[in-house]
Amino acid sequence: MIPVVAMRLLAAAGLAAILTWGCASDTPPDRTRLTVGMRFEYPTPNELIGPSTLSYSAISNQFFLPLMAEQPDFRDGPPTWAPGLATDWEFSEDRLQLTVRLRQDARWSDGEPVTAEDVRFSWLAQTDPDIPWSYSLYKESITDVEVVDAGTVRFHFDAAGPTALADVSTGLILPKHAWEPRPFAEWRGDPGWFFEHLVTGGPFLLENRTPGQELVLGRNPDYFEDGLPRLERVVLRTASDGAALTNLLLAGEVDVATGLGATDAQRIANQPGLRLIAYSNRQFTFVSWNTRRPWFQDAETRRALAMAIDRQAMVDTIWHGYAEVGNSPIISSVWAHDAGLEPWPHDPRAARDLLAAAGWTDGDGDGILERDGVPFRFELATFAGAPARWDAMQMIQADLRAIGIDAQPRRVEPGALIQRMRDKDFDAAASAFAIDTSLDLRYAFHSRSIPGGDNYAAYANPELDRLLDSFATRLDPSAGLEDLHRLQRILHDDQPILVLWEPLTLAAFNEELESVEPNALSPLANLQEWAWR
Amino acid sequence: MIRFVLRRLLAAAILLLIVLTLAFAVVALAPGDPMAPTDPRIPPEQAERLRALYGLDQPLPVQYVRWLGAVVLHWDWGQSYRTGQPVAELLFDALPPTLLLAGAALLAQYLLGIGLGLLAACRPNSRLDLSVRVASLVVYALPTFWVGLMAVLVVAVGLGLAPAGGMTSAAAFELGPVAAALDVLAHLWLPALVLGLSMAGDIARYTRSSLIEFQATEAGRAARARGLSETRILLVHGLAHAAPRLLQLASVSAPLLLSGAVVAEVVFAWPGLGTATLLAIQSGDIPVVLAATAYGAGLVIAASLAADLLLTRLDPRISVE
Repeated sequence: MIPVVAMRLLAAAGLAAILTWGCASDTPPDRTRLTVGMRFEYPTPNELIGPSTLSYSAISNQFFLPLMAEQPDFRDGPPTWAPGLATDWEFSEDRLQLTVRLRQDARWSDGEPVTAEDVRFSWLAQTDPDIPWSYSLYKESITDVEVVDAGTVRFHFDAAGPTALADVSTGLILPKHAWEPRPFAEWRGDPGWFFEHLVTGGPFLLENRTPGQELVLGRNPDYFEDGLPRLERVVLRTASDGAALTNLLLAGEVDVATGLGATDAQRIANQPGLRLIAYSNRQFTFVSWNTRRPWFQDAETRRALAMAIDRQAMVDTIWHGYAEVGNSPIISSVWAHDAGLEPWPHDPRAARDLLAAAGWTDGDGDGILERDGVPFRFELATFAGAPARWDAMQMIQADLRAIGIDAQPRRVEPGALIQRMRDKDFDAAASAFAIDTSLDLRYAFHSRSIPGGDNYAAYANPELDRLLDSFATRLDPSAGLEDLHRLQRILHDDQPILVLWEPLTLAAFNEELESVEPNALSPLANLQEWAWR
Repeated sequence: MIRFVLRRLLAAAILLLIVLTLAFAVVALAPGDPMAPTDPRIPPEQAERLRALYGLDQPLPVQYVRWLGAVVLHWDWGQSYRTGQPVAELLFDALPPTLLLAGAALLAQYLLGIGLGLLAACRPNSRLDLSVRVASLVVYALPTFWVGLMAVLVVAVGLGLAPAGGMTSAAAFELGPVAAALDVLAHLWLPALVLGLSMAGDIARYTRSSLIEFQATEAGRAARARGLSETRILLVHGLAHAAPRLLQLASVSAPLLLSGAVVAEVVFAWPGLGTATLLAIQSGDIPVVLAATAYGAGLVIAASLAADLLLTRLDPRISVE
């Protein structure tokens, strides 16, 4: 009798579960709508006070537009720009002024026209110290933004430079009439205010927002490009974990998933109905050898380290092939990459010989090399919360141990490690950079960037400084290709940093979708052109 | 009773203050600068401006007093370093989903645990009893993240019996109230079951032992002598005997549920306090970490207080004085 009662209790619980499951049963797919799974946070539509993440700016670009949009053609040559809110632009002869004409048919979602006043207002906000915007650095060369007339604006520069278009086009054009009533000093205090006063000028409108769960984007019927966007509605769903995103995709609850991990990609690779794509994201992961430490002062030793570490094994085991062995900070997907550089081969025997030539021997027979009484034993740090890099640290430790070097991996809180690296208070550390297409690498390798800066290895080379300075002032970057190749050769030979890998970004989508072309600039690039077949 | 509640509330407030102070000290003294830009394109001057904006350029005691004052007087937990959002608003959005998940998990663990405990107790030392005991130990030992991953893979992705994640379907804001509630339930049952499973084993074992113990007591024997059915003896009198102990388990399981919720929320893409806390920890978002710690401590203290109060109602042997 008792078991029957208990069974009833269990059956009731089961029934409730099944009943609720019933409402989640399959329904015919809604082809006017697309659901995208990606990791994002969208606390405000105002990019000047929002997070500095790629996913955040990818979403913001659906609501607001820049004057010009950088094109993902950086593999072929220096960056090019396509019209955004601008129709065309023209430099003055001395290149100290840039006159930009705006589209006449661009309107905010409340019907107001997009004007030159909006452009000037955006620049004022971008450079206001009370806000302060993370990327205001890009605006430092702009001394004024002059409203010529409602449809024309003129940028004034303090000097002619190669990054003028990048400087002008960085940042989105904001609605002056809607946001000017709130003083800049109060912008950071209440990011939610901008949702309440949101007018958009991009291809999509914000239909609904459920914090921590989803954003619902609706087609902007007044968007100036005919026939775009092709989708009526795009739902962006978030998950904090790549495995959870993959599950949503495999269960058919999202049609597109971006920012997947290599392990997730393996689960998706052979799934019928899904297409996996991998593309460069302009990042590279590297180990900085602090050249102020006794172990890393000479290039021979650093080259030996490069030859002792099996980077291909890292790409194969950690990234399951979804990465490439790195060879240069100007990564292989960028036009100026020197394809003639051969990666240092994995050759522990040659590494040992190089070390011996550099004076490293195991005099006391303890299995660890020494030079001038200093054992080759150092701390190899990386950020806590970066599992791929931590795995790599273990592999480096094993590789180096095999040639008599004791590297001791350590995880450090990111803020603390960055500070230590800028202070040169570290031995060796793994981190990552995402290069921008200006290819101005002075921040990472110029001797001026050693004190407190991001030249973590404290590497100083007068010839490199000269090349970096020379390239940074070239108005035509493509004319500086030889300099960039020479620069890469120096870094390759001297090895102040060892580039480990260039990861690929992974995304997967339903095969019935067309025109899905995420790229290094945005996981939602050309979203307005995405459509169901 | 009122004096007891007031005394407990005062003790809870002191405990919370200690937790807040310790949490503040730990994160403030930890190495690293939360404003250090990780992107080299962001100049150090920007970090300085943000540091001043968030009051991080002040001496530590000043920061502490300002922070605590803002919390106590205005319920202002500061702004998230990561998103710029007011922390109180962020956690206001995140708390209800966590309470819903934890509440449903609590219900699931008691339904399952008491049901299995009854099954085992009605035939002590039988194969069924042994199976229940072994099963309860096994589920207790299994880590929540593994059970969660397996549940998603098998139940949601493989069999399609539940959604694979999230708290609602896409664009659920368009659903009517009934459909919306059913939609949430459809998303809720699997993570709640997974989260409740580990403690269900504990409850099953306690229920079993209490019921077997009751059958051997004078009251149990008297009930049987009065000719009451076995069902009535165990379900009514036996469970009443077990209730205080089971209730005590609820207060014990509150912190476990909250910590388990962090894992379950990540696995099931559930948008709660756990997910918010994890993101905050990963990105060094100190104001959110502090507030989430305080919320967690507050919830555990509240659960403990509620369990104590209920216990005094259920068990006449316990006095509040």
